[in-house]
Amino acid sequence: MPHEIVVYGVLIPGLLPIFLAALVVMAVIDTALARRGLYRKVWHPSLLRLALFTCLFCAGGLLLIR
Amino acid sequence: MSATPPPAATARRWPWLGEFLAGEARAWVYVGKCVLAIFLTGWLAMWLQLEKPSTAMLTVIVVMHPQSGMVLAKSFYRVLGTLTGSLFGLALMSAFPQQRELFLFLLALWVALCAGGATLYRNFMAYSFVLAGYTAVIVVLPAISDPRQIFDSAVMRVSEVLLGIGVTAVVSDLILPQRLRVLLRHSAQGQFAHFIDLVREATRGVLPRERLEEAHLDIMRAAIQLENLRASVIFEDPEVLARSARMRLLNQRYMAAATTLQSLHHLVNRLKRRGRDAVVTALVELYRPIGEALDVPQRHEPAVLEERLRACLAAFPAHLAPLREHFEEHAARLEFDTGAALVERLLEELIGYTGAEAALRSGQPLRGSVERVRFRRGNDLVGAAVAVARTFLTMTALSLFWLASAWPSGANTMLMATVFSGLLATSPNPVLSASRTLYGYAIGFLAGLVMEFYLLPSSEGYGMLVLACAGLMMIGPYLQTRPALAGMGSGYSLGVIGLTSISNPMVYDAVQFFNTGLSQLGGVGLSLVSFMTIPGIAGSRWQQRRVLRLLRREVERAARAPLDGLAWSFESATRDLLQQVVSGTRPGSELLAWALSVQETGRTLIELRQDLAETALDAPARLAIDRALTAVAQLYEAPDASRWLEADAAVLAAIHAAPAGAAVRLHLYQLRSALRDEESPLAPYQPRPAAGASPHAP
Repeated sequence: MPHEIVVYGVLIPGLLPIFLAALVVMAVIDTALARRGLYRKVWHPSLLRLALFTCLFCAGGLLLIR
Repeated sequence: MSATPPPAATARRWPWLGEFLAGEARAWVYVGKCVLAIFLTGWLAMWLQLEKPSTAMLTVIVVMHPQSGMVLAKSFYRVLGTLTGSLFGLALMSAFPQQRELFLFLLALWVALCAGGATLYRNFMAYSFVLAGYTAVIVVLPAISDPRQIFDSAVMRVSEVLLGIGVTAVVSDLILPQRLRVLLRHSAQGQFAHFIDLVREATRGVLPRERLEEAHLDIMRAAIQLENLRASVIFEDPEVLARSARMRLLNQRYMAAATTLQSLHHLVNRLKRRGRDAVVTALVELYRPIGEALDVPQRHEPAVLEERLRACLAAFPAHLAPLREHFEEHAARLEFDTGAALVERLLEELIGYTGAEAALRSGQPLRGSVERVRFRRGNDLVGAAVAVARTFLTMTALSLFWLASAWPSGANTMLMATVFSGLLATSPNPVLSASRTLYGYAIGFLAGLVMEFYLLPSSEGYGMLVLACAGLMMIGPYLQTRPALAGMGSGYSLGVIGLTSISNPMVYDAVQFFNTGLSQLGGVGLSLVSFMTIPGIAGSRWQQRRVLRLLRREVERAARAPLDGLAWSFESATRDLLQQVVSGTRPGSELLAWALSVQETGRTLIELRQDLAETALDAPARLAIDRALTAVAQLYEAPDASRWLEADAAVLAAIHAAPAGAAVRLHLYQLRSALRDEESPLAPYQPRPAAGASPHAP
């Protein structure tokens, strides 16, 4: 994947679409976990959510530099 | 995880001390989080080599709130507003790089329109609008003498704001978070208990009208508060987000049941005043089982209450039949049937409400179908127009002054005036808020002076900078935790951080410091002046009159608008309208009486139209009912004595035209009884019993 994408002559970092995609995937996972009530069994739900998101975004980012 | 509780022994001996310590602990947790977020943002901004680390730090101050749900909601809308504003700034600059006058005119127009849009919303959506307005100014002004810089300016602004928002969101949500969810749960349960108590009390005896008006106000406030909280908590808690539709449904059922309760009570009170004691006794007998069903030891346990109410509904026909047999006379039977239909509806709605609450508490899916519901806001466009005019005039005057004087710091003044006239326009008392912010800003100016020229030069490295500045930084967030001083606190923080403008490498320029500081102070002062000259309309008599007219127009909507989802949108819009003027409304005022009357009549009209759509009627009856709908809508649009007579006659004709025993007929009767209520605000338009003696008669 290219590191930078050109949109109408403007350079946009390739990480941006990956960030947005990670947000979408995160929203899906979030809803699924919340509907099953799994967040109630977790010690620090927001920490878990942040960690999950970081994993998703970093995994996408690794794909980019490979 | 919450703030540390005070030692038990102290709490027992001096209860106030325990409370004070708990409050202090909460305040200091907030201060700590604030300062941590500010310095973390500053460090990251320097590390990422952003142009102005101070903008990112300012963002922290603006977004930070003790409750993490609020922070996340505000952040979300801030991102939206910043992106929109930057894009507009970019577009404007590329369209008119050379024509300064036209450019400033359009900029002022944009900011003014955004400020107007903000007054149409009463949660963080408003904030998005304000930001979209002033971000355009912030992006554009630094590049005004060199339009080629606009793109960099926009990118920098967006990056700095996003960095500040990201750090604030993470810090507030991860470190000792104070959950808004807890507040939401408490207030939802409190509201449930309160309403169930009200129903129990009401079904035992007859409530006086003042008490009912008071309860109506409480119910309305609770419904709107719940909606606002829900809109913020969904950002904090994915579980609430997943159940968001259900919470909306709960709120709508709550409003529906409250309206029916009122209608029933008005009907009973009217019958009583007219001396129809037999009917009143039978109706009281009819709804007594509801009160008994609600009177259990676990009085606020929705699942238990739902079971009992269902049993009550099952026994309802058997209970109704013997009571109904007493009434042979036609008029009395009509009166009784109308009341009985209301009681049955109340029972059904109570079951729906308790059922929704029970499902929400247990996390079980809701029985039956979940309708898609929306909380519709009632909006006053003239209020928005005033905001547009004020912001536009301020901006234009400042632009002209700036163009004429060529003052180098004019851009600063303009910026501050724009920001504050936008931000404070939605506060309940903008003049007071603006003056507090001005004081805070002035103190912040002095503190910034001390910081920049006394503390910073002798500190080396970021660690020393934090140590040197932390003390002065703490003052602002601490003031924010005191409700009376909150505006001053944010003004102070904005002053300190904005003026010191910590950057890497640090620039010490006394002349520039004073120029910027004084021009910004001037900007805040000018926004205060603009609020004084063109006052907000919140709470004024003029606004009350306007809201009154809008409220009455809702009846017309109830009679005309497409039926799909109308019942819900009617309930929420009338309450939202009333909420806008409620701070200046006392129980017993004309506005409240109108609100009650509008709600009863509008709801009846909607039910009537629903019946009409479902049952097959012959053409003359349909025509008569249509005429009655129109006449009632016209009466509410501009009430006077002749229209009252017309409406009364039309409804009576429709009653005669409708077939006996149809549900349509009961609703028509209820409509007529609401029209003839001696205590409703329509009373002055009714002809006096002594024939023709009415002073209002033409």
